[in-house]
Amino acid sequence: MGDKEKLFQERLNRYLTALDCGKPDKVPISFSVGEWAVNYTVNTLQEVYYNQETSTRLTNQVLDEILPDLDFDIFGGGPGLWWPPMFDAMGSKLYKFPGIYLEETSTFQYVEEEYMKPEDYDAFIANPTEWLATKYLPTINEEFAEPESYRATVALIKSAAAYAMSGDMMGKAWEKWTKEYGFVPSSSGFTKAPFDTLGDALRGMKGILLDLRRRPDKVLAACDAIVPHNIAYAMIGARGDTTLPCIAPLHRGAYPFLSLQQWEKFYWPSLKAVIEGLWAQGKRMTFFAEGDWTPYLEKIAELPDKSIVFIIDTTDAKKAKEVLGGRFCLYGGVSTTLLTYGTPEQVKECVKRLIGELACDGGYILAPGGVVMGDAKKENLFAMIEAGRKYGVY
Amino acid sequence: MGGSKVKALVPAPGTCVPWRIKKEEFGDLLGNEEIVKGEWEKLDTFAYAFIWFWVQR
Repeated sequence: MGDKEKLFQERLNRYLTALDCGKPDKVPISFSVGEWAVNYTVNTLQEVYYNQETSTRLTNQVLDEILPDLDFDIFGGGPGLWWPPMFDAMGSKLYKFPGIYLEETSTFQYVEEEYMKPEDYDAFIANPTEWLATKYLPTINEEFAEPESYRATVALIKSAAAYAMSGDMMGKAWEKWTKEYGFVPSSSGFTKAPFDTLGDALRGMKGILLDLRRRPDKVLAACDAIVPHNIAYAMIGARGDTTLPCIAPLHRGAYPFLSLQQWEKFYWPSLKAVIEGLWAQGKRMTFFAEGDWTPYLEKIAELPDKSIVFIIDTTDAKKAKEVLGGRFCLYGGVSTTLLTYGTPEQVKECVKRLIGELACDGGYILAPGGVVMGDAKKENLFAMIEAGRKYGVY
Repeated sequence: MGGSKVKALVPAPGTCVPWRIKKEEFGDLLGNEEIVKGEWEKLDTFAYAFIWFWVQR
């Protein structure tokens, strides 16, 4: 076994031990090369988004030249969540990417609309995949607006090809990061809460909040219809892997978008069903609780032991430890605001406090609590990793 | 294949056009069914992931 392979196994064991609420030799540290890194290179965000080779090269450059002396275990990948050419090929209305409608140094923007109309609920519920393919894709994509046309046919060919090409590129990048750097991927597979699938991409925030009053039964039926798809989508994305958790960024469930009653009735049951469905297959979910989820911790504690990894963003960390600790791995907690506006000393203090509060009996992974912003200071990120190794030894 | 042979369906999660349906449309296969089935399902899964990708941002 080579050095990097040994390192990979060591880090993987550390990660898996913490995921199972155990106490590894050190607190595992998770880190990503996000958009912040672009500020320390000659590239623009447009180049990073549009050219996947540039994105991978930049990530490798950061790992080789900026981070070589920093020791962390779990890697979340490089900047750029999507490859814009796939969206451009279809004439997508969903996003504005740097370079066309936004400055080349800007991050992307999501354009939220009611892409699914209230009268579409029944057709969607009856046959979600067919509805998405035949109604939703033509609605959200200008090039695909007339599916039998020449432009639409070409657009679909190009976009599906781009989806495959992008997946292939990412696969090669991950092979390098695991084999040559010994990093463990933070997750395999992606999914969402059914309420978020409906609220983010189909009905939009305004639409779904009105639906809670005007057509609550449709919302519940649509969420129920989405549950098995979000389980299937996670497992397909993970290619069947059950070693690593799948990531689920959770949006509208954060307090106080919904009242406690609304959350319990509309948000939680279908998300719980997805988690339980995945766990029945041995697949854990990284419960990316963006924002504050403190009021819901008692309900979340109803989940099967170890079925989630709970990410602490602005949720009360002490309360999360009290309610979830020992039964679910806790992850994150380092304020993303602090990583942008704080000092290295403040970040180190934050890490010391978090490890003291959350890691004492294992089951904790040190990481930023949310997506690290593009203007985060690298010295703060480095301070997080250094302090994690200094204070995170059992 | 004539359009009239294509059946309407409600595909199960994870599938677009399940092999079970396609096999009926093919009729009896003269060679190794598993080879055809395996590759059909790979591409069908890819298509499913592509369609659902657009709402799983």
